[in-house]
Amino acid sequence: MKGEKNMSKSKGYAGQILEVNLSNQDSRYKELATEFCRDYLGGIGFNARIICDEMPAGIEALSPENILVFGVGTMVGSTFPTASRTEVSAKSPLTGLFGTSNSGMFFGTQLKNAGFDALVIKGKAEKPVYLFIEDGEISVCDATRLWGKDSWDTLDILKKQYPGAEVALIGPAGENLVRFACIENGYYDAWARTGLGAVMGSKNLKAIVVRGTQGITPHNVEELIKVSWKARKLIETSPFFKPFQSYGSMNAAMPYGSFKALNANNFSQGCLSDWKENFARPKVEELTHGHIACQSCIIACAHWVEIKEGKYQGLRMKDMEVTPTVSFGSGCGMSLEATVKAAEMGQRYGMDMVSVAGVMAMAIELFDRGIINQEDVGYDLAFGDDDAIFRLMDDIAHRQGLGAVLAEGTMRAAEQFAGGEASAMHVKGLEMPMIDPRGRWSTWTLGILTNIRGGDHLRCRNPIENLRFNENKYDFQKERFGYDQKMYDALDMPDELKAQAIDLETDTVDIAIMSRWAEDLINLFNSVGVCIRPPVEHRIGPTILAEAYTAFTGIKISPIELMQSAERAWNLIKLFNLREGEQPEDSKFPHRFYEQTVGGKMLDEAKVQEVLQQYYQARGWDMLTGKPGEEKLQELGLCNLT
Amino acid sequence: MNKHLIIDSAKCTGCGLCELACAINKTGQCQTYLARIKIWQEETRGFFVPMTCQQCDNPPCASACLMNVISKDPVTGLTIRRLEGCIACRACQLACPFEGCSYDYLQEVLVNCDHCEGNPECVKYCPTGALRYISTAESMDLERSAEAGRRCGLAGLVKGDRR
Repeated sequence: MKGEKNMSKSKGYAGQILEVNLSNQDSRYKELATEFCRDYLGGIGFNARIICDEMPAGIEALSPENILVFGVGTMVGSTFPTASRTEVSAKSPLTGLFGTSNSGMFFGTQLKNAGFDALVIKGKAEKPVYLFIEDGEISVCDATRLWGKDSWDTLDILKKQYPGAEVALIGPAGENLVRFACIENGYYDAWARTGLGAVMGSKNLKAIVVRGTQGITPHNVEELIKVSWKARKLIETSPFFKPFQSYGSMNAAMPYGSFKALNANNFSQGCLSDWKENFARPKVEELTHGHIACQSCIIACAHWVEIKEGKYQGLRMKDMEVTPTVSFGSGCGMSLEATVKAAEMGQRYGMDMVSVAGVMAMAIELFDRGIINQEDVGYDLAFGDDDAIFRLMDDIAHRQGLGAVLAEGTMRAAEQFAGGEASAMHVKGLEMPMIDPRGRWSTWTLGILTNIRGGDHLRCRNPIENLRFNENKYDFQKERFGYDQKMYDALDMPDELKAQAIDLETDTVDIAIMSRWAEDLINLFNSVGVCIRPPVEHRIGPTILAEAYTAFTGIKISPIELMQSAERAWNLIKLFNLREGEQPEDSKFPHRFYEQTVGGKMLDEAKVQEVLQQYYQARGWDMLTGKPGEEKLQELGLCNLT
Repeated sequence: MNKHLIIDSAKCTGCGLCELACAINKTGQCQTYLARIKIWQEETRGFFVPMTCQQCDNPPCASACLMNVISKDPVTGLTIRRLEGCIACRACQLACPFEGCSYDYLQEVLVNCDHCEGNPECVKYCPTGALRYISTAESMDLERSAEAGRRCGLAGLVKGDRR
């Protein structure tokens, strides 16, 4: 009989790490040590330590030496609101740096209930396989019949075979080693960024099926329930809560459009001329009904979408998340309905939507510039030509024709064309997300430059970003705060640091100082498995998380120590990146942002560099090279990687 | 019975907080498998249906029980069990059309919803009002029949997937 009792002695944590070597089908169990838990918490913290300890320097990302780690957030499986997130990491085939991505839903809960806080995958299987993990046991199963199938067809088969299980899997793009392939998390979610699906594909690993009934024992049930309710009340009273509950992440689409801060037609226009009418809220709401939540979430920001008429009639899926919608809608100039179709294709093929939209937008621009032509592609390309874009997407997933070049990602593909670099919108090899730093310079946009995974917007966001204002009178140093004392007080941040970061008198936020805090805060969320949606980021901070962590795990930790653990993981990843060859000059936006204006604005390279240096200083890193300083490493108990 | 646990599946987001709230309050474990309320999901159609004991007037679980441990409480009207007599054969689970009986592997018995002594934890946790605890008079409206119809339809026609 399954799940007879909880075998683990540890509280909160499942207590074990499962390591599988696909080359010899060997599996090992490792007990979690309390110090390791306290120092690295879980999620991205575990992943960073495991990868830095066990991966040799300079390996090829698509080789068997790469290590893929699924780290479940500490609070996952508990009643703490939004605790559902699992971080997946490996060396990225796209950037050559630390590749990492975060996703929610129910995978982490199942992995923990199956008895594991992390799953480490090494080696390469001889032929296609999938893993089945259930209640402390793992089997490596033949996946020949699944190889070549798209992710939804594969899921139909696996979900029928293993009722109630959660599945992480790759689609054809991952099998074909498309460098920005993602790992799908069930039908509609993914660990998308940095090409982790290609890593899974390179290991001949099609899917990971997880089911567990073991249960997690909290250290102090009463205290956990109490702190969960406290956190819930905090989130529910954030002014960001209601808007996010009703409209999800699409809230950002219109303000960023009006700031001319979107990726319109490959970052050439700031905002499409018909953006406001085509992507207006009533139009989006007409297609959506119902809200969908991840484990333990009280917000439920995701929508169910059904298209009832027109060319894409009959399409129904979970969508209208701002990232795919704007990446395709604005970046490639597609219609609202077509973005749903594109998202469906992205899910079925298993590709990161930001990256695939980015590389296609580059191809269309190269076509416009006459650098590639109809002969190279096989058909004409144009912004807004849905059919051509779908055809190109299909070519990329299957590495056909020009698709084979584009499947290498924006940075590598651009090198194949004379003058291609001018159209390549990426930072450190990772395609830029849909926000244009020229249109709105803020903590969020500096974060794209400082992100440990390259050009991405999800690891640094001002917890009290004010979307009503967009003022650029601060010389890149500050952004407008724009809230009252009450909002200031509600922010869970050490008083001294808060006073440095936010100046109520001048109503400004210091971008460099806030970036450092926001990154550590989000890294903390990604360690303990809490969501980064604005109502959570605004109200949940180290104080309440320390209470929750101690109640759940029984490990005593102070808010300061908790932040330090998050900072430790961030610094460790930076050390990994430096070891893998990251150079100071890589922290730079594409030339276009410094040379061409959009909406009358552009970036001043010297001033951006100055803010970057201030950020390094705030982090305790060398101001010129961005290397973590000896003092900082000592403080965090880290040493340089060799 | 003065009050009923009413489920409006149209409002359910599938967050699973009702399951967790039930499990943690009844067993001290974070494991939805132990909950007495379960969310059935039709993932590719975007809807979720919480299922729990319907406190039937003439419960099929009681008829199916080999040990005769299930009965109706004459005062509260709830379906109750004499747990010490349960042999965990799961006949009640098979007989219930609503997935209302759960196996509690910690006690090695089958259990069902007991309305938490008039203060159901799942209702407190539900963030959208998909679960409500209301009086008989309130619950005897059309909404309830409509919901029953939806759920019977789901149980019979759609192959749902229980998490």
